[in-house]
Amino acid sequence: MSKRAVDSVFQAMFLLTDLRVILRDTAPVHELDESRQAMVARTLAELEEQVKVIRKEMVG
Amino acid sequence: MKCGLSLDVRDIDETTINIDPIQVGGRLTADAMKAVIAYGDGYSVCDNCRKPNRLDMIKSPPIDAFHRDLAAFVNMDEARVVPGARRAFQAVAGTYIEKGDPVLLTALSHYTEFLSVEAYGGVPLEIQKSSENIITADAAGEKIDSVKREYGRPPKLLYVDHFDYQFGNEHEVKGIIKVAKQNDIPVLYNGAYTVGIMPVDGRDLGADFVVGSAHKSMASPAPSGVIAVTKERAEEVFRTTKAQADLTKRTFGIKEVEMMGCTLMGVTLVGMMASFPHVRERVKHWDCHLSNGRMIVDALLAIDGTTVKSEYPRKHSLTRIDTTGSFDTVARTHKKRGFFLTSALKEKGIAGTIPGATKVWKFNTYGMTDAQARYTAKAFQDIALQNGLIVLR
Repeated sequence: MSKRAVDSVFQAMFLLTDLRVILRDTAPVHELDESRQAMVARTLAELEEQVKVIRKEMVG
Repeated sequence: MKCGLSLDVRDIDETTINIDPIQVGGRLTADAMKAVIAYGDGYSVCDNCRKPNRLDMIKSPPIDAFHRDLAAFVNMDEARVVPGARRAFQAVAGTYIEKGDPVLLTALSHYTEFLSVEAYGGVPLEIQKSSENIITADAAGEKIDSVKREYGRPPKLLYVDHFDYQFGNEHEVKGIIKVAKQNDIPVLYNGAYTVGIMPVDGRDLGADFVVGSAHKSMASPAPSGVIAVTKERAEEVFRTTKAQADLTKRTFGIKEVEMMGCTLMGVTLVGMMASFPHVRERVKHWDCHLSNGRMIVDALLAIDGTTVKSEYPRKHSLTRIDTTGSFDTVARTHKKRGFFLTSALKEKGIAGTIPGATKVWKFNTYGMTDAQARYTAKAFQDIALQNGLIVLR
């Protein structure tokens, strides 16, 4: 196990938290404008990077 | 979905627009949610606690600086974090009230203020509200004179809420504090519905104690709050222990008696700290939140038969509305009776009203985006139209 894995787990949870807040800000219909869609896309891309690190560090 | 075995996930704010009167100002910011993830364990802020071992002196995380920032935020000299505004009331009451002391509250004071007076044997006495449900400086002056006549001394303490929890009305706090000062009465300013959502300047108001509720108005986990005081009062309310154990001869450093030592030792405090930069910024935009609230109130008032119990035009996002002449007329014959309104709101993704209430009820619009405010205003009117009520456009 590594500090890298720990950092990535936290970072992934923080990125998901950003998505959670977007859900709150757009409730109840969750219609995302272009700006928010772009933000979600960027967040998901970063999240996928963090998941890759977690997989590499913790699964091999 | 469950958190563990028996706790359902709470997703009310992700799935609906929440208009619960007490919940909206306490919803966490993204940074507070992240801090909660990282600092959820018990005494999580104590990793680097060093002598003299007191919460407000911890440097990492920067809790000491946060306390200074909190005091500056409400323009007072010193601040402490507390487990909710009620614990601040208790600290002030514990410092000044002795058995039989008359203490002034108001006809719209929160029950926890009464309990804090009762806990120390004080006699709670109310300043009358006006027919418009406003606490005026004149009424405060009259009550002070009446107490002086009856008790032969002025009240020991006066609590005043800037905005009350029942109507969300603004009271004449500055005038009331001025009258109290003329009679040498220390004043506790209850900012449960102000500190964290609108600018508050305790020094300008002349308050001795400014109390805020962080879980109500500072985007923080419960229970959390703040008490900020003048330098003079700090020596009294934040007095340190003088106790010595008789057998072991132990003493207890510089722990503060009314704070019971350290107060918020983990997730509540870091939640407050993480939200604070956002809270400090958001108070500058109070007008926008108020404007959204006014739009929704006006949309409700356009439904024939609806009146507002709170002062109007609104000065706060918390409003008491009377729909006896509108939604309640529908409830009388609707198959869901009074629950039709809650049910209809739920279908439209709006939550936070008291189930079954169709006569007089409260809601709070704080924190909505503009789009959510427009949606909510339209939802109320759509429900009215769908149920045969007249909407005056």
